[in-house]
Amino acid sequence: MKKFISAACATLALAATLPAGAEVVVVVNPANSEAVSKDQVANVYLGKSTALTPVDQADGSAIRGEFYKKVADKDASQAKALWSKLVFTGKATPPKEVGSSADVKKAVAANPKAIGYIEKSAVDASVKVVLTP
Amino acid sequence: MKKRILATLLALPLATTAYAEESSPAVKVSGFGTGALTVSNNDDAEFGRANQARGVKKDVRTGVDSNLGLQADFTINNWLSVTGQGLVRKDAQDDFGAEATLAFAKAKVSDELSVRVGRMGVPVFMISEYRNVGYLNTFVRPPQEMYSQVPFNTIDGIDAVWQHGFGDTSVTAQLAVGSTTAKLAGNLEAEMKSLVVLNLVAEYGPFTARVGRADGKLTVTGAASLDSLLTSLRTAGNGYRLPALNTLADQLVSDEKKASFTSAGLGMDWNNIVGQAEYAKRKTHSYINDTSSWYVMGGYRIGKFLPYYTHGKVAIDHAPAYSGAAACPAGYPAACTPTLRALTAGAATLRSAGVGQGEQSTDSVGVRWDLYRSAALKFQVDRIKPKNGKGLFLNAAPGFNHAVTVGTVAVDFVF
Repeated sequence: MKKFISAACATLALAATLPAGAEVVVVVNPANSEAVSKDQVANVYLGKSTALTPVDQADGSAIRGEFYKKVADKDASQAKALWSKLVFTGKATPPKEVGSSADVKKAVAANPKAIGYIEKSAVDASVKVVLTP
Repeated sequence: MKKRILATLLALPLATTAYAEESSPAVKVSGFGTGALTVSNNDDAEFGRANQARGVKKDVRTGVDSNLGLQADFTINNWLSVTGQGLVRKDAQDDFGAEATLAFAKAKVSDELSVRVGRMGVPVFMISEYRNVGYLNTFVRPPQEMYSQVPFNTIDGIDAVWQHGFGDTSVTAQLAVGSTTAKLAGNLEAEMKSLVVLNLVAEYGPFTARVGRADGKLTVTGAASLDSLLTSLRTAGNGYRLPALNTLADQLVSDEKKASFTSAGLGMDWNNIVGQAEYAKRKTHSYINDTSSWYVMGGYRIGKFLPYYTHGKVAIDHAPAYSGAAACPAGYPAACTPTLRALTAGAATLRSAGVGQGEQSTDSVGVRWDLYRSAALKFQVDRIKPKNGKGLFLNAAPGFNHAVTVGTVAVDFVF
């Protein structure tokens, strides 16, 4: 219950600070020189490919909802269900979850195989933008 | 809060690794559960899930469909992880008992291949590995006609999972080798040795197709009445020189006997149409019946609501039968023919005795309501029709053979 409330509050708080349709960009480690397509990103985030190591934003955050909608055409509950299936059958471990775009950048900058998504305004030299879905 | 304490405890042995990597949580704790009330309209037999010791009659029970699972995933490095899962539910014993459903180490060999060692889910059905996760399924419980046919949930051994994309189609091939045991209702124990399971899944957008095959050597122990029947058959067979009785005993005994399960399934979640169907054949060289089982489920999503209908059926294809003469030859002791008849009649009852033995069909209607991102509320009504006996009902009154209605309300969640 507590989690429900805090998740709901987080959603509200983020929805307030993040204007609807704020641009989400997909970022990788600057050392990664390969091109990444939207389908590849979707496959990585839906557990169908392990070619890259995904980093997720907080469960219930607005940016996460928007990312899954734009990249994979899934709403948050559909994505959650897909992951639950992979997790509870022991087929895949869920993406690492971090609390903010700053933490996403930190994780992506630290791992050459990492992939993440952040607001366009948060982009800096520590990461490389590969896709604007 | 509890979750955090548990996560911390589970993480302790790996704390050094986590620090060394300098990355935040190397441990992820997740869980699933169902809280449910189940009730039936009759007191002549109990309705339960496959392998439960007790079921529901006219008094509402929580035990048929409620469960709770907890899982911890430890990511040790970019190629090695360890997973443990525990499940609490009512099964072969009539209390909420805990069992270890997953306990394996997984090594990622390449981007497409991983190898797991330990205890994994045994992939004999389309949804076998998440049949206890209500949230991931449309219906309240997997169709019992089919899901009662294999009592094993896990395999202890090694498996390889290979995943490859062919254009837009994603193919997953899984080969598992090992053994497994299951406690069965009535204090029996079932064991499969030399178990080999192949599971092939193809996914194309919203469509899924799978085929699977499992082979092994099946042993069932602890069935006192079966053991004494086998002894009596052999004693009479030897004493009266009726080799057909010995043959029957050899056919019935379940002592490292060949057993196989072959199944195929289709699933779809296309636009608002949800469908799932499976068909399976079970074969064993023992008193466990050879069966055909299948079900079809269809639903249509209207916003957060998903009304659905399911029909399931199990039929016996073959069971060992006495092939000798119905009476003893002239000149045999007077007790011979009555003994012969009693023993063969006893053997004939085995086709409807024990877990997953019996014939029946079920029609179910229900609705799933996705209340929240990770919780769903379900209502389901089942109409179960036993055939040639008590069907899959438990603790049935003598002669019980009529249709029963069961109602369930359930809340499924994941976290």
